[in-house]
Formats: sequence, C-alpha cells, structure tokens
Amino acid sequence: MIRPVRALAGRALRNASRRPQFFVPMLVFPSLLLAANTGGFSRTTQLPGFPKVHGFLDYQLAAAITQSLLLGGVSVGIAVALEIESGFFDRLIASPIPRTSIVFGRLAATFCIALLQVAFFLALGLVFGAEVQGGVGGALLVLLVGAIAGTGFGGIGMSLALRARNASLVQGIFPFAFVILFLSSAFFPMDLLQAPADWVAAYNPLSYIAEGLRNPIIAPVDAGAVLDGLVAALGVTAAMTGLSVFFLRGRLREP
Amino acid sequence: MSASIRVLSAFQRRALNEVLRVPGGAIPGVLAPAIFLIGLSGVFGAAGNLRGYEGDFTAYILPFGMLQGATFTGAATGVNLARDIEQGWFDRLLLAPQRRSLLLLGLVSSAALRATLPATFLLLVGLLLGVSWPGIEALVIAYVLIMGFAAVVACYASLVALHFRTQQAAPLMQIGGFIAILFTTAYAPLTLQSTWLADIARLNPVNKILEGVRQGFVPGTVTWGTTWQALVALAAMGLVLGGLAVRSMRRTGR
Amino acid sequence: MPAIEAVKLEREFKGRIKAVDGVDLAIEAGEVYGFLGPNGAGKTTTVRMLVTLLRPTGGSARVAGYDVASEPDAVRRRIGVALQEAALDPLMTGTELIELQAKLHGIAPEKVTRRGEELIERVGLVEARDRRVGTYSGGMRRRLDLAMALIHEPGVLFLDEPTTGLDPVSRMTLWEEVRRLKHEGTTVFLTTQYLEEADQLADRVGIISDGRLVAEGTPAVLKAQVGQPHLEIALMDGGDRERAVEVLAGFGAPRPPAEGFELAVTVAEGATEIAGIVRALDDANLIVASLELVEPTLDDVFVEKTGRHLEGAGEADEAGGEPGGSA
Repeated sequence: MIRPVRALAGRALRNASRRPQFFVPMLVFPSLLLAANTGGFSRTTQLPGFPKVHGFLDYQLAAAITQSLLLGGVSVGIAVALEIESGFFDRLIASPIPRTSIVFGRLAATFCIALLQVAFFLALGLVFGAEVQGGVGGALLVLLVGAIAGTGFGGIGMSLALRARNASLVQGIFPFAFVILFLSSAFFPMDLLQAPADWVAAYNPLSYIAEGLRNPIIAPVDAGAVLDGLVAALGVTAAMTGLSVFFLRGRLREP
Repeated sequence: MSASIRVLSAFQRRALNEVLRVPGGAIPGVLAPAIFLIGLSGVFGAAGNLRGYEGDFTAYILPFGMLQGATFTGAATGVNLARDIEQGWFDRLLLAPQRRSLLLLGLVSSAALRATLPATFLLLVGLLLGVSWPGIEALVIAYVLIMGFAAVVACYASLVALHFRTQQAAPLMQIGGFIAILFTTAYAPLTLQSTWLADIARLNPVNKILEGVRQGFVPGTVTWGTTWQALVALAAMGLVLGGLAVRSMRRTGR
Repeated sequence: MPAIEAVKLEREFKGRIKAVDGVDLAIEAGEVYGFLGPNGAGKTTTVRMLVTLLRPTGGSARVAGYDVASEPDAVRRRIGVALQEAALDPLMTGTELIELQAKLHGIAPEKVTRRGEELIERVGLVEARDRRVGTYSGGMRRRLDLAMALIHEPGVLFLDEPTTGLDPVSRMTLWEEVRRLKHEGTTVFLTTQYLEEADQLADRVGIISDGRLVAEGTPAVLKAQVGQPHLEIALMDGGDRERAVEVLAGFGAPRPPAEGFELAVTVAEGATEIAGIVRALDDANLIVASLELVEPTLDDVFVEKTGRHLEGAGEADEAGGEPGGSA
C-alpha cells in the first residue's frame, strides 16, 4: 500500500510542478484579495468588538490561507475529473494496486501542497509586516492545521470528481466554495457578521479551521482554539476521504 | 457597411450560444459576482458604520460587483478565443475575407452585450438587499461604462489569447482584470483605505470608471465631472488595449 | 496564368527549422493537384501559406492571380479551404454554420438561405442540418466542412487531408465530390498521405519530403519512371515451365518471379495484356493456377527519390515533425 501511495503522490506532485498555472488560482487570487481586503478594511479594527491585533493583515492571513486551501481542493477535483475524462483513471484502476491507494496517493500529494500554500502565506504576511504572536511553535501549528484542512478540502474536490466525472461540473463548484467561505468567520469576527452569516458561521467547520489558523498568528497560542481547528480539519478530512473511497467503490461496482 | 453589421450580428449570435446552449454556462459569470456581493455584505457590512461610506455598505460595493461581472465576461471572451484557436475554429475566421479589426470588434462587442447579464442580475439582487434605486440617468451611464469595461477587458484577454494561443493562459486573462478592479475604491473610500492602496487607486484609471458606475448608488447624484472622467478613462484604455489587440490580430500568421 | 503558383516558397520557424524549403508550383485552372508526403513533410505548412494563414519567410506565391503576402484579402475572397481539422462549433447546427460562413463571405442575405440549402443537399446532410454539430459523426463533419468551403463558389479549393480518419464509405463519398468539383472546373489542391487517394483523384501529383518537392508529374508518368508493371504467374502442377517461358517471350521481357510464383513477365500495357497472356497459355495447354499484376506505386517513386517509404514514413518522422502542425 505504501509504495503505490508514494508513487501516485509523487506523480501528482511532479505534474503540479510542471504546470505553474496550477498554482495561480490558489496563490495569486487569494493574495490579491488579501491585499485588497487589508488595504480597504484596515480601519475596521477600530470597530467595537474587533479583537486586539497587531494589524489587520495579521487578522486576514487566516482568511487568505483558508481561501487558498479551498481553491486547492477545487483544483484537485478538476485534476481528478480530467484524469477520469481522459481515461487515465481507468489505467490506474486496471493496475495491480489497492484501489484506495488512488485516493490516498492524491491526498498525500495534497497534504504536501497544502504545507507549501500555508508557508507561502505566512512568508507573505511576514514580508508585509505581520507578526506571528505564537512564535515558531505557533507557526508550526498553523502549518499543521492548514495542511490537514487542505487535505480535507482536497477530499471534497476528489469526492465531487468521482461522483460527477466531469471537469466542467467541478469547475462550476468554484463560486460555491466562496459561499461557504463567506458564511464563516474566516474574514471577520463572528460577533461582527451580519445576519444570517453569523448564525451559519457558528456551525460552519470553516469557522473553526480559520480560528485555529488565526489564533497562533494574532495571539499567544490558545490550546482550545487550535484544538477546535485541528478537530474540525481532521473531521473534514476523515469524512471526505471516506466519501471519496465510497464513491470510488461505487464507480468500480458499476457494470 | 451593412455587410459588416451582418458579420457583427453573426458573432453576437454565436457568442450568445455559450450562454443559451451550454447548460449552466452563464452560472459562474453571473452567480460569482452575486455571491461576492452577498458574501461581502454579510461579512464586512459592519464596516459601513465607519465614517466615510456615505450610506449603505451594500450600495457602496454593488458597483464593484457589476464591474466584476464585466471582468468575468471579458476574460471569458479571451478564454473562448484561446479555445477557438486551439480547436482550429479561429483559422476559419481568419480565412474569411473580412478585416481583422472587424473580427476583433465582433468578439469584444459580444462581451459588452453579455456583460449586461451579470450587471442586471446583480442590480436586482442589490435592490432586494435594500439598495436604493439609482435612477435611469445613473443606470444608463453605469451600463455604458460596464459594457465598455467588458469590451476593454475582452481586448486585453484577446491579446493574451493571441499571444499564448492556449486556454492554459486563462488565469493570466482573469488576473489582469481582477488586479485592475481590486486596486480601486472597490471596498472602501480613499479616506478609509491604507495609504498604499489609496495611492494606487488614485492612479488607477479603472477607479474613475468605478466611480462613474457608483455615482448613482453612492452618493446618489450624477455629476458631469465624474461622468466625463470615467468616459475618458474608458476611452483611453479602449484605444490602447484595442489598438494592441487589433495589431496582434493582424500579425497572426507572421 | 496558373491558378496556383509558387516560386521558391519557404517557411522558416524559430530555431531555424525550415518546414518548407524552396517549393515551386504551377497548377493550372481546373486541375486536381495531389500533394503527397508523409507526416512532417511540409504539406500543411505549404497549404497554410497558400491560403494566407501563414506568411512565407522566403519566395513568393500567387493564388487565383493574387499575391498571398501583399493581397491576402483578394486571395481569401477567391478560395475555399477545408483544413486538416474540421474545426466546427459544436454548439451550432449545420444550417447555422453554413449561414455564418455565408455572412462572413458577404453573400447577399436573400441568397444565403437558398445557397445554404443547395449545399446541405449536395453533401447529403439534409436530415441532420438542424442538429447541433456536436452530434455529427466524423464523416458528417467533413462533409459540412466541405460545404462551408464551397459556400461562395470559389474557383480554387484547398483540401488538407480531407479523408484522414474517415471510414472507407465516407472516403468514397468525398472522392466522388472531388471528381464532381473537377468536372465543374474547380481547381483543387489536395494534400494527402494516402497513395491511393492521390492516384485516384489527381491529374498531377507533387511529392514533398523534408520541405522539398522531390518529384512531380502525372501518377502514370511518375510510376513509369521507376519501372513497368509485371505479371507474376503460377502454373498448375505439371505445367511445362519452359514452354510457358517461350509463350510469354512474345509479350514482354522475363524477370525473376517473386516467391510463390514460377514465372514473371513485364507487361508494358498493364492489365490490358492479361487476357491475351492467359489465352496464349491456354492455347499451349498450360493452365494458370494464379496470377498477380504488380504495378509500381507512388511509394516506389518516393523510395527511389528519398530512400525511404512514404507509407509508414510518418511514424519514423514523428519526432522531428513540423512545428505547429502535423504535416
């Protein structure tokens, strides 16, 4: 099992590195929005109820990371759907490897890419004046929560692809990723959200993931917030991995 | 002249197919700006309490959403052109005994027309969210600017498509438009922005266009001063990018 | 004046790759000219220059009396083109595409519908005309592509590998259409990698290899340059071989027989001599068990000129194929 997972993960990483445009949606767009949000809404830190932060950029980094990881998940979905459409996926299924390694291999690659995404935004933030209040340990926690969450989002994309088998359909999901993101506390404190966003955000796992990413950046590490984020990320990952395996098995059972 | 108009209308008809005949084809371009409008209002709406917004936060960002729809539409025109190039359809157009500038005009004019779809949808969403009716005069000016901006973005995206000749350049087409509209008074007035963003917004011609679209919504009065500046900015961008795109079209095959 | 004329036509791509290296052509009006060569030989690049999609980097070309580089619009008005990829919009119906093409060629509105219907009927797409092209088979797309190329009644028609990928029936249909066009006086420039296609359709054939024209002439003349047809004969068991040699000496020069045959004789007039030979052998009480007429092919011409085979040569050349095109 380990060998095919490593081989498939290596393949996915190699393919990603050979297509720089693969990284554009997940790095450039969130960076642009980060810049626009930071430049446009920096005065909102003066609003009553806004937590004390070193700078609005520090607060927004978690939103940018979450957004990037979500878009990474969509990219995984599109890549898998394209493989299904081109017939390459059938080649994998016909190989003498455990079928679940197809899922785990892709998700292992997604974990590695997610680490890079989180590292990118942490570095970007530091370059433009943000500070990680939790220190090196805090940064490592951000990397951990982010990588697991990114893997979970990759699982969402993969399960969509295995179910839909159509890249255009998966691509059409892209706007809805933003719906889920906006209905969370990724961008703004939950207490300051307008109805009904505030109500939905309270139950949205993305809120906990974003808070888990944010806490070590804007404050000394709060174990509760980070643990909530970790649990939410692990929950999404476990659920979506299970769903991907389920849809894969369903596909294989078809006549 | 009438033959040219027939050619243009044929292009319009073909471009409409993307919306009418592809199931869900219009959804991303129309829905995405609406999602952003509702999402940003829900998330950052409290920012409207800061002094400087002169009114409702949703009304402030609605014009940005309308321009965002124009950006999506213009970029999609470039992506479709890249697809046509990859699949050989573009060769067929080049073989027609028509001026290359007419081919480009057909593409960008179809983008301008299609941009009215997301703009209208967004206007309806905004009105449902409580934004005040801007008035016919303001709307006419807004639509002219929105359609013109879609054409400008389509020129830029066509330039990218003609250079790279592949759909893989799609992100580059989209990013150009996004950068143009994001680094403006998209989310906040100059007085509330960080210094660096305010400086860029002041220099960005798209900001003039955005303010021209916005004037009917916030502050609610149309002025000739704001309007002519928006039109001049639009015309200047159109001339530069349109000229470059025509040149690129003519040089295809060299 | 030739309908298509090229003088030392050249196209060099980045990296000093010369896809077309000094091609001369003179194709008369009403002629069907077959342009034959393996993948990567320069066929499509030559066509793209002649139809004004690509600018020559050397030499000159005139089509329908106009220079392709300095008068491209005039050229486009007078030519019809069906390219290697039948590039059609899958969201449009056959009728819509033909009408779009008509508008692009400036055909008067009152004539568009009538002309479109004529062509749809001519290429046998009447029942499919209101269906989206995305539902068409490969053969139907090619026929529609041809109809679009003919919408403005061009005097010169370029067909770039029109039957590649088609089933035999669709191929025959297209061949019939080319013969019909010739009968109507249209000049047809046909690129192909299929020997039989060039043999069947072309008045003259030009063979291109590595960007250069290596042979040109009618199929019969080209083949005669490399040899004459010969007949391989096998007799029934017990047949007198020496007696047979004497009989056959009256028809042509003997030659070594191929494996599985006992005798072989050159037959300058080809198949027309077979009946006489069989009768003569029969008169000498020699019964023929089997016979095979072997004619030189255009591939033999290609081998003679280049040292390699035409058919199958494309696979060997794939690694060094033309940039931006397959031929």
